[in-house]
Amino acid sequence: MAAVMRVVAGIRFGARFSSCRPTRSSSSSAADPPRSGFAAAFDQQSELRREVQSSAAGPRVSSSVQDQSFASLLRRSPLVQMGPARDKLVVGRIVHVVGDDLYVDFGGKFHCVCRRPAAGGEKLQRGTRVRLRLQDLELTARFLGADTDTTLLEAQALLLGPVDGREPQSRD
Amino acid sequence: MAARALTRGLLGLRHSRTVTLTYSGGHHYATATSVKSPQPQVDEYTDKILNQPLQKPDFFRVSELFSLKDLFDARVHLGHKKGCRHRLMEPYLYGCRLDHDIIDLDQTVEHLQLALNFTAHVAYRGGVILFVSRRRQFSHLVECTAKDCGEYAHTRYWQGGLLTNANIQYGSGVRLPDLIVFLSTLNNVFQQHVGIRDAAKMNIPTVGVVDSNCNPSLVTYPIPGNDDTPVTMELYCRLFKMTISRAKDKRRQMEILHGLSAPSTPSSCHE
Repeated sequence: MAAVMRVVAGIRFGARFSSCRPTRSSSSSAADPPRSGFAAAFDQQSELRREVQSSAAGPRVSSSVQDQSFASLLRRSPLVQMGPARDKLVVGRIVHVVGDDLYVDFGGKFHCVCRRPAAGGEKLQRGTRVRLRLQDLELTARFLGADTDTTLLEAQALLLGPVDGREPQSRD
Repeated sequence: MAARALTRGLLGLRHSRTVTLTYSGGHHYATATSVKSPQPQVDEYTDKILNQPLQKPDFFRVSELFSLKDLFDARVHLGHKKGCRHRLMEPYLYGCRLDHDIIDLDQTVEHLQLALNFTAHVAYRGGVILFVSRRRQFSHLVECTAKDCGEYAHTRYWQGGLLTNANIQYGSGVRLPDLIVFLSTLNNVFQQHVGIRDAAKMNIPTVGVVDSNCNPSLVTYPIPGNDDTPVTMELYCRLFKMTISRAKDKRRQMEILHGLSAPSTPSSCHE
């Protein structure tokens, strides 16, 4: 696992792989049998990275941004990768404070409103980053006799505390 | 109606028929086609300054102001839940993920480009643009945007006869807006804003951001997109401000370039 982590770190930062490469793949570089699994993927990714770096003459940033279609952007977005929002831990930022109510924006469509916890609440001001456990991204309900749902234009989450807080609090 | 037609009469009546394609408010000048242009200078003026932007599809290059990635980062694609969906918004939706509607940003890019292009043309010709939004959360932002680009905003309670009864409520000869931009087409109680229906009655074109629970049918240039997140609203306000400023600067530039001064119309002296 440590060898895999070092190799992954090498790929990410474009460092030399040779020193970190595990011995079995270095021995198989001269061998004939086709690689499979991780070794094949590793070779393909390093090849792609070399190609990208070699063709860095033109406006690389704009071409990589334009090549991404909406479908691929959506698929790779954290909101979609997260899956159902129930009981997911996220980090949000407090955008507004009204007395005891904290309005926290965590990257979804709506903010969530949490009550300031009794202990350690003075640290939570505008701009503080807090941890949340999401319950729902949008509070909606269909009432009797209505054509469409009624929405509260809010998300619901439990406030767990500031990001670097030492004591986790579970308050609504 | 006649007062409005007269004020716009000198500003391009001759080619009003040719602009009906791009300027959907042009058809209401049909009553004043009998008014003839007085001097040949006006023709030269209209040809150089007013006709030239119509030759190209994107004269003001508004498509360079934003990209799909910018819209995505500003969370424009997030819609409401499936239960809140309006039936007429279904063509604009990409799909529904875990009960949350996702708006198709490819369509949004096209619609936004059309809307910004139209706004730029209206601002270029010195039209009065009114920003309307009944979201109290963003009312200050909308008012500041309008002030910064020299246009108007109405983010308070909409009186019933604001447009339809303007001559009686505000005196005769009042000039109505030439374009109304709705940054949110809903009232707080999930009714559609009265201004959309009134603008359609008064033949005023509208640009509106329609979320997945809005009715896009009466809006002339709908922009399917999120209208609930502060980041998104800031993006829209920034785009409209840049478009209008760019169009007005272009107008000043064209006037200086061709060395012509505008005829005595209130076209470019509204504040």
